[in-house]
Amino acid sequence: MAEVVFSKVQKKFGAFTAVHGLDLSIAEGEFVSLLGPSGCGKTTTLRMLAGLEFPSSGDIQIGDRVVNDLAPGQRDIAMVFQSYALYPHLTVGDNIGYPLKKRGVGKAERLAAVAKTAELLQLTELLKRKPRQLSGGQQQRVALGRALVRDPQVFLLDEPLSNLDAKLRGYMRVELVELHRRLGRTMVYVTHDQLEAMTMSDRIAVMEGGKLQQFAPPAQVYAEPANRFVASFIGTPGMTLIDGDLSQTGGVWTFNAPGLSMPVGPLTDEATAGPACLGVRPEHVSIGTGPVQGVIQVVEKTGHENIVIIGLEGGHRLTGRVPAPQSWSIGESVQLTLEAEHAHIFGAGPHGARLNRPHETAPLKTKHNPDKTKPKLQKAANE
Amino acid sequence: MSRQKTLLERRYAALGLTLIAPTVLIFSAVIVYPLFSAIYLSFYNVFTPTLEGEWVGLSNYAELLQSGKFWNALKNTLIWTIGSLSLQLIFGIGMALVLHQNIWFRSLARSLILFPYFISTVVAVLVWKWLFNDLYGILNHLLMKVGIIDFPMDFLGTMPNAMISVIMVGAWKYFPFVVIAVLARLQSIPDALYEAAKIDGAGPIARFFDITLPQLRDVLVVIVMLRAIWDFKEFDLIFLLTGGGPLNDTQTLPLLVYQEAFALNDMGMASAYAVVMMLIMLVFMIVYIRRTKDDEGS
Ligand SMILES: Nc1ncnc2c1ncn2[C@@H]1O[C@H](COP(=O)(O)OP(=O)(O)O)[C@@H](O)[C@H]1O
Ligand SMILES: [Mg+2]
Repeated sequence: MAEVVFSKVQKKFGAFTAVHGLDLSIAEGEFVSLLGPSGCGKTTTLRMLAGLEFPSSGDIQIGDRVVNDLAPGQRDIAMVFQSYALYPHLTVGDNIGYPLKKRGVGKAERLAAVAKTAELLQLTELLKRKPRQLSGGQQQRVALGRALVRDPQVFLLDEPLSNLDAKLRGYMRVELVELHRRLGRTMVYVTHDQLEAMTMSDRIAVMEGGKLQQFAPPAQVYAEPANRFVASFIGTPGMTLIDGDLSQTGGVWTFNAPGLSMPVGPLTDEATAGPACLGVRPEHVSIGTGPVQGVIQVVEKTGHENIVIIGLEGGHRLTGRVPAPQSWSIGESVQLTLEAEHAHIFGAGPHGARLNRPHETAPLKTKHNPDKTKPKLQKAANE
Repeated sequence: MSRQKTLLERRYAALGLTLIAPTVLIFSAVIVYPLFSAIYLSFYNVFTPTLEGEWVGLSNYAELLQSGKFWNALKNTLIWTIGSLSLQLIFGIGMALVLHQNIWFRSLARSLILFPYFISTVVAVLVWKWLFNDLYGILNHLLMKVGIIDFPMDFLGTMPNAMISVIMVGAWKYFPFVVIAVLARLQSIPDALYEAAKIDGAGPIARFFDITLPQLRDVLVVIVMLRAIWDFKEFDLIFLLTGGGPLNDTQTLPLLVYQEAFALNDMGMASAYAVVMMLIMLVFMIVYIRRTKDDEGS
């Protein structure tokens, strides 16, 4: 078990910078997801941690060792590859036992460890088979077994579930969370699937364009997205984002856009009058009464709820989410309320920072205390 | 399941036959006919210039098996094939591994490496004969200059030098085939396998034996089969380099066939040698087919 720290890590491929000055501190035993759209540098970040790619500058630390100059085999990590990368000519048993064999573990001990891992992952029946005789889900478990057999400090997983069908993916999500709980090991999990990140992680590192956008527990990433990018990336259906202007009269902020004018909650000191962006999650739109006028454009019925897309007077479109019995017909005019206490205000531009003052009354509960090393440091500093 | 063929199916069958007919005809003319003709001739005592002679039954074969010439040629063929093929494999795999690395002159080296394979055998042999020459050859000149030998060496006129020289030239001429085939396979091995092995703690040597070699196994089986067959029936390179000499010490089976047919004018005997050669190669083929079948089965 070990904490993992990236300090000012940068990775360049030629002139192209894949990862910009990344600072990330992962606590011992934490399950952290690197989440972001394709090409945002997640895999590169993970590969630098694995030692398969070397940072152009900055330091990577596992436990109390700076691992910049260590080969992958010396870092005491295990990795599950997206393609599984099982050794095709070895049996399942030999695949799982390979990391032990290369570290000089004796045969008897090795077979015992393989048997134990196989049992954990329900692979005992398959130990004599070759990888190509297995289904995708079974191969995935073998890849996991090869990582688990050695009890490394940190587990690295690069989109391990993306090649599975939806049902199996859901099942494996639960299995992985269960495994993490049982092993208590640090896990770094790369995914572009927000559902995986939201359901499995202690904290999510949202990345875009090689930059870290936000690093926080899933609930906080959802409720208090750090900037406009995170707000638009997290949540399905996505948050409605409307460009407009902020103005202040007598200490009260008002957001104005064509066909829409609403007071918004306490903002930080960085807020200034001028261009800004309003964000409203679909569940914070109520249809029926209210000051805003709109026309129903699309109704998507998902079974237990209906997703409604509403055109506003100014040409903006708004997404709402209502329980299934409520439905509207296309073209119907409706009155709307946007819940001001849940509305987000972002600065101008695609990465405009969130300007709402953080909720002090309801602190978000986190499974892990990411700052648990902090008090020690402070104490040391005080002495 | 027997059932009446529909008109459409019969029309398709007819079309299929029409389409493969030209291939079958050409195949018969250039492969099946010579094959049966060789078997037929091997039962006769044929004078090559007139291609006339009388039925002698199996006596050509009896004579062949009793003659020292046949066993000597078979021994030489095996030495040449095994020697040259081993060197082709060692240099071929080695060079492929080097060229697979990211070296700056890689693309140039890749085309240069093919040079011996593309060059005509006659030209290659002429060049090597110059190099080997005891009066003005550069090899002798260099060896004497460095001080390894005091007198010029006879590379082609004495044994075992002649066999060694033939094997070396054969290896030089044909190793590019191994390079190209192995390199193509190396490039298709997924990087993730090597990366997984690195993380699992395998060093470079372990990665070669645990990843590269098992991945190359199938292509090596094919290379060994093809090259063994081609080396076994190699004619021009040996014939031009030593003509089978000194005495008959580098005379392989193909050279013996040629000698019987055109120097001794005994086409019947030559055919018998050719048929025996074919039977020996058939053994290779059967082993090869067995192997590939086993692989599919498991
Ligand atoms: N070896 C490489 N050489 C050049 N560019 C690379 C290399 N690996 C990744 N990149 C680039 O770096 C960016 C980030 O890639 P990656 O980390 O794989 O993204 P993802 O978040 O989808 O995993 C991409 O634009 C990709 O094209
Ligand atoms: Mg990736």
